[in-house]
Amino acid sequence: MPEGRTQRLQQAAAAFILEADEAALEADPARVSRRLGLSLADQQSFDQQLPAWLTYRELARMSLLEPLETMFPVLMALLGPKDWAICTQAFLDARLVRSPHYRDIAPTFLGWLAENRWGQARWPFLLELAHAEVLEVLVARYPDSELPGGLQEEPDADTFLAWNAATQVVSYTHAVHRASEANPIPEARPTQLLAYRDAEGVVFLMELTSATASLLVQARTIPVAEAAAALGLTDLEPVLTLLRDLRQKGALDGFSPIPLT
Amino acid sequence: MTQQTFTGVGLGLRRTHLEEVARREDHGVPFWETCPENVIGDGGRHFRWASSILDRDPVLTHGLTVSVGGFDAWDQDYLRDLGTFLHRVEAPWHSEHLCFTRVDENCLHELLPLPFTRDSARHTIRRVRELQAQLPVPLVLENITYYAELGHADMDEADFICEVLEGADAGWLLDVNNVYVNALNFGFEPKAWLAQMPLERVVQLHIAGHKRFGDLTVDTHGADVIEPVIDLMQWVLARVGRPLPVLLERDNHIPDLELLLAERAQLQRAYDAVFAPAEAPHA
Repeated sequence: MPEGRTQRLQQAAAAFILEADEAALEADPARVSRRLGLSLADQQSFDQQLPAWLTYRELARMSLLEPLETMFPVLMALLGPKDWAICTQAFLDARLVRSPHYRDIAPTFLGWLAENRWGQARWPFLLELAHAEVLEVLVARYPDSELPGGLQEEPDADTFLAWNAATQVVSYTHAVHRASEANPIPEARPTQLLAYRDAEGVVFLMELTSATASLLVQARTIPVAEAAAALGLTDLEPVLTLLRDLRQKGALDGFSPIPLT
Repeated sequence: MTQQTFTGVGLGLRRTHLEEVARREDHGVPFWETCPENVIGDGGRHFRWASSILDRDPVLTHGLTVSVGGFDAWDQDYLRDLGTFLHRVEAPWHSEHLCFTRVDENCLHELLPLPFTRDSARHTIRRVRELQAQLPVPLVLENITYYAELGHADMDEADFICEVLEGADAGWLLDVNNVYVNALNFGFEPKAWLAQMPLERVVQLHIAGHKRFGDLTVDTHGADVIEPVIDLMQWVLARVGRPLPVLLERDNHIPDLELLLAERAQLQRAYDAVFAPAEAPHA
């Protein structure tokens, strides 16, 4: 069924806001309404109210781009204003902001970067950098969940790790968490991070050795002693001490007699 | 929670104040208003603070992105979560903006004006009824600030709002600041405009600050409420003759909680003055 006039008017408003070429819109405000086959009177209404429609364009684009500017300051510094504008316009062109939740705009942008690989031929660490910038917020706002039943407070050789729902272990090829607006190019150094929040909800990042990162990942699905042995760790006591500490910090909910993943 | 709970001047619950509000019960705010989109599906410490306030204090709910007048299919997952949320906070009604925010599945996160046409009004009435059928509490619609008419209009804003409210048999969240800003931008007298409106449908008021940029006044929610808008609030309350809940909105340049509480208290005094018994004549 062909779209009616009311729907096409709404599409024209959206296009006026999202289209890249503002100069073309200023020169010919009716271009989108004409393209959508709207009447001359409707086209003229865009012509006659150009300043107001430019205000809508500015307000809506500010709403959509502000969370990106807030969440990805180091990425912005890396790209510089011109490339940042090109990157974010490409994101707007993809028309992917669908969630009703404003907080989802930044993760949607991250997903678009991952899918689309924008800029990654020039900056191979770009996606990792963006991920590191959003990581703490993702951990901070991860929805709370009920603890699984049957957890022990003390680890032993035969138990499996129960991560807190918000906990993440990430592996980067660059030390992107050390990059800053002043120095946005990270050192090329394999980096593993544990991101977790404590009982109060405060987020912490802990740099891990690759062996510790492997242990934390492996021991979710195989017993602690087996995961440690696979890494050549024959003395289990330091491993158990670390795991107790991570439970106290909040990264782990506890220890399960059965795998939970 | 009964409707009787909601009277006086409440405050919008903002993320920057959650911790402080959660920790003090002596805030003196009769009710809060929250945007469900900002709470549903969230987690962490801010969510816990918000939850403790919502479980403790009276709360009204005010949506931003459901796109009442749009054409996209309803987000059924979100509406299910919204229904659960409204039950949880015992909301007496739920308000949404009389606008569209989504086009072809894209959320623009901006309140955009519906075309002021008969066809658009019919479509919006149908949508309001559909949405109402999916909510566990009455749906209330807010008049928005608009800066341009979308397309060639065949009616004015007042007629459009009246037609939708009457056609959908919906309550009205009357934003007096939006009326004032629209009056500045489109050159009409706000009280004359309001006098022609179905004030008997008003169940709640919004009040806020605005800012002038060149020829255009923008509903920024980023400044103190000015005296003419307070006067408009009092005029509406007196005309309606009932102590409707009024909500002070502040979304930008958000001051410290103490300053906001002081502004609320000032508005409460203006509110109370409307319903104060007339002074007895001197003997």
